[in-house]
Order: sequence, then structure tokens, then C-alpha cells
Amino acid sequence: MTFLTVAWKNLLRRPTRTALTLGGIGVGIAAVVALTSLARGFERVWRNAYEARGTDLVITKATSRSPLPAPFDASLGAEFSALPEVSGAAGLMSDLMGIEESPTMLVFGWDYPGFLWDHLKLREGTWPQVGATKQLVLGSLAAETLGKKVGDKVQIEFDAFQVTGIFESPALVENGSVIMPLPEMQRVTERQGQVNFLNLRMHPKLRERGIAAVRARLKEKYRGFNALEAGEVAGKNTGVEVARGMSWATSWIALVVGAFGVANTVLMSVFERTREIGILLAIGWKRRRVMAMVLIESVVLSLAGGFCGIVVGLVAVRLLEQTEMLRGKLEADVGPGLFGMALTVALGLGVAGGLYPAWRASRLQPGEALRAE
Amino acid sequence: MDSLVTIRGVEREFDGGQVRALRGVDLDIRDGETLAVVGPSGCGKSTLLQILGALDRPTRGEVFFGGQALSAIRDLSAFRAKEIGFIFQSFHLIPTLTAVENVQVPMLECGGTRVTRRKRAEELLASVGLEARLNHRPSHLSGGERQRVAVARSLANGPRLVLADEPTGNLDSANAARIMDLLLEAHSRHGTAMVLVTHDSGVAAQMGRVVRMLDGKVVFDGGVSGRCA
Repeated sequence: MTFLTVAWKNLLRRPTRTALTLGGIGVGIAAVVALTSLARGFERVWRNAYEARGTDLVITKATSRSPLPAPFDASLGAEFSALPEVSGAAGLMSDLMGIEESPTMLVFGWDYPGFLWDHLKLREGTWPQVGATKQLVLGSLAAETLGKKVGDKVQIEFDAFQVTGIFESPALVENGSVIMPLPEMQRVTERQGQVNFLNLRMHPKLRERGIAAVRARLKEKYRGFNALEAGEVAGKNTGVEVARGMSWATSWIALVVGAFGVANTVLMSVFERTREIGILLAIGWKRRRVMAMVLIESVVLSLAGGFCGIVVGLVAVRLLEQTEMLRGKLEADVGPGLFGMALTVALGLGVAGGLYPAWRASRLQPGEALRAE
Repeated sequence: MDSLVTIRGVEREFDGGQVRALRGVDLDIRDGETLAVVGPSGCGKSTLLQILGALDRPTRGEVFFGGQALSAIRDLSAFRAKEIGFIFQSFHLIPTLTAVENVQVPMLECGGTRVTRRKRAEELLASVGLEARLNHRPSHLSGGERQRVAVARSLANGPRLVLADEPTGNLDSANAARIMDLLLEAHSRHGTAMVLVTHDSGVAAQMGRVVRMLDGKVVFDGGVSGRCA
């Protein structure tokens, strides 16, 4: 037998109470895991999209960092593509639209032809004809969700578009989207001559210099614009920031509520065992050993709840990913960092919840504790 | 025999002096001696035992153990773990632990490996006739068996003094006799001094010396047929 045996067996003394507390902690940690993995996933799918497009710098209106920033004049692209460091500029218009019976979908209008299309792999059909109207391509997930194949018609706003092809993209968010040439998108959204993102690609050897040159030009001539590197765009997106904020808030709420729950359970257990703790002190246990015993009980309880919460959270996000609302738009990011964070929260609430009961237990006077009923 | 414990002028008051449990007790307990403390309920027997075991401190007076004042010992936990063995009327075993684990609980403070602790606990339980009940929890043991586990636990760290508070109080006569035999056997085998609080004159008669208490004072101190203090 070791010291840990004593603590472990104390937890098993009241299995129902232990299980209920564990369940409470588990739900809190599951919420942390689900929200954080979705927030991180949201950020990752967008970062992947920009990386897949080979975009070095994205220009948007500085006043709007929402997923769909305010539109601006597309002619800005021509000015920047004239810079020697810039190898290409591509305007992009995006919007969220309800298409036929399906939930909202991302619809893109991309400069066509242009480098944005290079990373897409046509699975069936053809790309839209240059200059043709009412033609579009569907991402593989979007085609599946809409139940469309090449040659079918897709009703968007007041127009019926012909599906000329179905493509695969390395970016999940694009696989779940509809893409048409930019002029068509501008016509559908009644924003002729405008884009809400301008994607710039630099000559590889002049990348850093090009980014600096564009930023300097923007600062000098076009106040009110942002120039973000591909990796930064997703991170500075308001939606991502809100999701990240919510995951932090949930973590803190889980920590506080969980800590109170653990404190209540462990304190009850200490009160019930007053005489036993008196015996341990009487037969020579040091106060710090009694304190450690109660703290270990609290931490083991919380970590076990943390493990349960991780499992429940993972199952929950996998189910959420399959819902119509999120399918093709979001893929939870469930790396080891997330598990580490969830277990750190669990450990934190175990320590926070166990400190007071542990201190109370260690302060008992053995003589008085032995007389307790 | 040398004096193991010396008690001088010990008083113990509770509730700001409204209750005076001990009123100036002087007592010497010699190394390897067996001593019974008798007296009516509320006379201060258990309070004296708690002070002897460093579970409580006197309001006035001093207790010396092996010549050292208890008030000067900083780590009384370590002192209790090493020098004192306790046996209680209500056994006071840890209900979640098995017999062999209960005996090991005091050993956790005194080092040793998991294997050596387990081996010593098994030997102690065998010496009280419980080698077949090692892995039973207290709820699956009879009252007599529980007290035998408590006796084994009290000897876990080889203490110089065993304090027993009504060790036979909750047992039938057969089990009470068995426990007394075990205690006296442990005393003769290990030379452990023993102070035993009891209401039972038959139990007291088996000890080498009897102290009678009344109203917080020692009113008799001598052999079983000995002299008045």
C-alpha cells in the first residue's frame, strides 16, 4: 500500500457522489473542448484556404474584420499588380447565401482566369467558359449537400446557374462552397466593379520586400485598409475572435463552477471523515500529509472528470461537424495542445477546489477530531 | 526501571476554565511498565491519556518523555508516529482500507519500502492471529478482530509506549480476554510500556500497576493490591 492508495480508496467510498461530481466536471470540460476545438478549427480552415490559394497578402477594408468585410473598388488590384515585387493580384467577392433548400453556403466570385483557381482540382466537368454567364463550379461537399451533378441547374437569388464542374480543394471551406467568375458574383450581389478581398501574390524572392512596399503604399495613399499576411487574416477575423473569446469565457466559467463543485464534494468528504482524519493525525501523520491526501483526492477527481470531458467533447464536435449547418464549413481542431489545455483547466479546478478543504482537514486538532460524532 | 514518562503538575481546563478535567496530576511511568488508569466517568482518564499521547496540551504543568519536555518538541506528529501506539475503544480503523492496509497507515510516516511495510504488517497481523483476514475490510471483521487489527497497528512502528483507551469496552468477555492476552504478550515480547484506561477491574488487575483517578486527580497509585498515593 502507498499513500496514494489511501486517497484513491477515499474517492471510491461514495461512488455516486464521486460520479456526479465527475459528471459535472466532465460537462464543463466537454464544453471547453467543443468550443475551443471549433474556434481553432474555424481559424484553421481559413488559414488553410489562404495558404492553398498561394496568397501572400490580403487587403481588406480596415474598418471591417468580419468574415465578409465591406466591398471596395476592384481597380485597386491593378495598381498593386504594377509593383515590381507583386507577381499577381486577384480580386474576390464572397457572401453567405441560402441556396435552394440548403442552409447558408459560402459563395465566392473569383477573378477569372487568375491564380486563385490554380490549387483547385477538377473532379468532373469543366471550368466555366471565360466570359460566359450563369456558370459556376461546386466544391465536392457543396455538390453533395445540394445533391447536384455536372449539368444541373442551381438557383441563386433570381438566376439559375449551370454547374459546369465539381472540384476538390485542399481547403475544407472551399470544398463546401460555390465558386463563380467574379463578374457574375458582382452582378448577383449588385456590386459591380467591387471586391471585398484583394489577394496579392509576391515574387518568391521579393516576398518580404513586396509586403513592406504594399503596406507603405496603403499607408500613404489608401488609409482605412488592412494588409494582412495569409496567416493573420483568420486570426484577426471578428468571427474567430468571438469564437476564441467564447472558448476562453467557457473555460473560465468551467473552472469557477467546477472548482466550487469540487470544493463542495471534497469539503463534505472532509466533514464526514473528521474522526478518521483525527485518527491519521493521532497515529502520526503530519498535517502536510493530510493536506496532500485531500488535495490529491480533489485533483484525481478533477483530472478523471477532465478525461471524461475530453471524450464527451470530442464526440460532441464530431456530431456537430456532421450537422447541415456546419458540414463543409468547419472542421474542429483537436490536437494535443487542446487536450493539454483541457487537462490544465481540470487540474486548475482540482487544485482551486481542493485547497480550502485540504487546509481545513490539516487544521483539525486530533484530540477534538477523535471526539467528533 | 528508568522513568519513560514524567508528569508534573498537569492541569487541563476547557471552556475558559469552566471545566477542569485535570487538577494537578503528578505521575511517573517507567520504561516497560504496564499501568491501568481507573476511575468513574468524567474523572479525567481519557484527558490524561490524550496528554500522555501528545494529542492535547496541558493548560499548566509539563510532560516529559524520555527526559524531554513535550512542549519543546516541534514536530509532535513525528513523535507520535515513532514513540506512541494508540488503541481506542471504538477501534477507529479506516473503513476503506483492508486489515493489512490499516496496519501500514502509521508506517507511511516512518519510511521503508512498500514491500517492507507490507511484510511487517503481515507479521503483526499474524502475531494477533489474523493471517487469514489480511485483505478483509473492517466491515467484514468482527469486533474482536477489528480490535486485534488495532493492536497490530499500534505496534506498527515499534513504539516505546502504547496507550489504550478502554480497549475491551466494546467486546464480549471472550474477545476482551483475547485482546488482553495479546496486549500483555506484546508487552512481554517487545518490552513496550503500556497505559490502559478501563472501567473493568478484571482488566486492571492484569496490569502491573493501577492508578485511580477522581475529579481530575490521582487518588490512588500502586500495585493491584498496592498503596494509596
